[in-house]
Amino acid sequence: MKIGIVSFAHMHAYSYAKALIQLEGVELAGIYDPDEQRGQKFAGILGTSYYGDYAELLSQGLSGIVVTSENANHKEHVLAAAKAGVHVLCEKPISTNAADARDMIEACKAAGVMLQTAFPVRYNRSVIRAKQMIDEGKLGRILAMKGTNRGQNPGGWFVDPALSGGGAVIDHTVHVADIMRWFTGAEVKEVYAEIGQLMSAVPIDDCGILSIEFDNGVFATLDCSWSRNPSFPTWGDVTLEIVGTAGTLTIDAFGQKLNVFSEERGYRHHFWGDDMDFGLVRDFVASIAEGRTEANVTGVDGLKALEVALAAYRSAERLTAVSPAEL
Amino acid sequence: MIHVLVIGAGAMGSTHAAAYADMPNAYLAGIVDTDAGKGARVAEACGTSSFTSYAKAMEALDRVDVVDVCLPTPLHKKHVLQAADDGKHVICEKPLARSLADAREMIDHCRSRGVRLFVGHVLRFFHEYAHAKRLLDDGVIGNPAVIRAGRGGGYPIGWQHWYSDFGASGGITLDAMIHDFDFLRWCFGEVERVYAKGLHGRVHAQLDYSLVTLRFQSGAIAHVEGTWSHEGFSMNLEIAGTQGIIGYDSARDQPLLSFQRGGHAGGGGGVPVPESPVEENPYFQELRHFLNCIEQDEEPIVTAEDAYEALRIALSALKSMETGRPVDLGAGAADLSSKGVIGS
Ligand SMILES: NC(=O)c1ccc[n+]([C@@H]2O[C@H](COP(=O)([O-])OP(=O)(O)OC[C@H]3O[C@@H](n4cnc5c(N)ncnc54)[C@H](O)[C@@H]3O)[C@@H](O)[C@H]2O)c1
Repeated sequence: MKIGIVSFAHMHAYSYAKALIQLEGVELAGIYDPDEQRGQKFAGILGTSYYGDYAELLSQGLSGIVVTSENANHKEHVLAAAKAGVHVLCEKPISTNAADARDMIEACKAAGVMLQTAFPVRYNRSVIRAKQMIDEGKLGRILAMKGTNRGQNPGGWFVDPALSGGGAVIDHTVHVADIMRWFTGAEVKEVYAEIGQLMSAVPIDDCGILSIEFDNGVFATLDCSWSRNPSFPTWGDVTLEIVGTAGTLTIDAFGQKLNVFSEERGYRHHFWGDDMDFGLVRDFVASIAEGRTEANVTGVDGLKALEVALAAYRSAERLTAVSPAEL
Repeated sequence: MIHVLVIGAGAMGSTHAAAYADMPNAYLAGIVDTDAGKGARVAEACGTSSFTSYAKAMEALDRVDVVDVCLPTPLHKKHVLQAADDGKHVICEKPLARSLADAREMIDHCRSRGVRLFVGHVLRFFHEYAHAKRLLDDGVIGNPAVIRAGRGGGYPIGWQHWYSDFGASGGITLDAMIHDFDFLRWCFGEVERVYAKGLHGRVHAQLDYSLVTLRFQSGAIAHVEGTWSHEGFSMNLEIAGTQGIIGYDSARDQPLLSFQRGGHAGGGGGVPVPESPVEENPYFQELRHFLNCIEQDEEPIVTAEDAYEALRIALSALKSMETGRPVDLGAGAADLSSKGVIGS
């Protein structure tokens, strides 16, 4: 099975590429990147071909493509893949705006190709185990959740709203919003957010606390801030505290770690758990192999999570809670 | 030597009484509790006398300089006003009152009677919190940006289950999170807006859980979690600033954790018991500070007006939960009365 990659603008491309290479029966068929130097470099490292034109890559008999371009360019690349009849794994957030996301979902549906949103946290073992426990009723009924997905300011195009659609809020809301939807089976009814540019010199939202009301009466908060600094021992976190009628559950998705204190790098966490990016890519490939028309994590899931971030921005402007349905 | 009468021999009253008993410039004149057995037990442990009413204590004691009110929140007002009428300085446990109107009346009354009023916002005296504030003030982490604070554990069972009467205690948001609200306001200044969500009014089980967002006038954002839905008390604080991060979590950073296998004489086996021993516990330091302020006629680290503001933040959070809207604290005389399930 031949899989291509569109753009190494997002650093996750490298990790997805390594997963593809490890998978039996999968060939990393080529890399397109508008930045030729970057594309050539990674093609060399990964032992694959570089394409300066994505249409050409898409015509190499691909079964699937991984879209890891800048958020604003997802649409162009996903529509091209749909047109070529190639299944898509699209990096999160699915888009910078809901209209484009809907177009992408429609185009893939019409073309009969799968559109999967890359939500790797769904493949984190602790998160999967938590979902099992919830489904087994161990917590009773879920009442409330408290999530964090914090990180460092990634810089580059991530802080250029024309390419990213926004800062920390659009970058870091979607993962945990998706997990919360998955765990509860409920949809977001309202979002309130306090957002700020409190740390970085460039004008971009880098701090945010969202309060979320679900349509089944569950409430939650989510800290999506780029509030980790370089001396913090790891890149960031994904945590979730869940309060249910019968118990509580505390998830630290990257809690499987060694504490390493080296002269060179100071104190760092080294994660030793299963690689969730590998799980994500393996699932995408398996869904293609099974001839499925719908991915396990869909474009609609990507849109629903994006809507939470967009509602948060709107809320911060208006100082009221905002329903994603109003957007 | 300052003569102190403690009212209430519950969780807080016994802690305060023990602190005065150890304090060189304090004399624990007595302890009052309507439950004679409870009062007597604390009196014995602290070497003082117990009384079953404030009136009986005042009648029997030659001298009382300070009345320390450690009663369930709805009983604070009556006893504070009474003590002020008797010309005694007052120390009152937090929250000062269940409503802003009551709190204002208590502050004004003490002022008009010429007595001091101190409120037990003890978090400012916790070593780890005071230390964090010092680091912040020293600029170690630059400008504060996003703050996370949390506290809680199991559902508290007090006298006649007063904690589970929302109209009396205000639930976790008023009773416990007010500690964090006061501490955060001390560190980051005035709060502009409050938005909150909580279990109150959603479930009838004996559980409470609140998630509150504070927006400060400085721009900083704080997230405060309060829980009476977990097992085992813990508290945590994280301040992320432009130049660094300060973090603390009592559940993770444990200096002493004992565990007694079940079946031992004396019971209490089977659960790990954390302790954080210090030469002077925060309650001792707080109360000594209040007594020093009386002796030296100085302003305390935490004033009654600070307590009023912390109450305003907590009640705003409850209001926000009720309305689903942010509450603007700049907006002056907002109606912060909150409808309790059990009545207020
Ligand atoms: N600062 C802190 O860390 C902290 C911690 C816990 C409680 N508190 C506060 O302290 C206050 C007391 O809480 P608690 O947990 O000690 O309560 P509690 O229920 O443990 O004790 C209350 C005591 O008051 C007695 N009592 C009731 N009515 C009385 C009356 N009219 N006269 C005399 N005694 C009477 C009861 O018999 C009981 O012993 C509350 O305002 C609470 O919010 C503060």
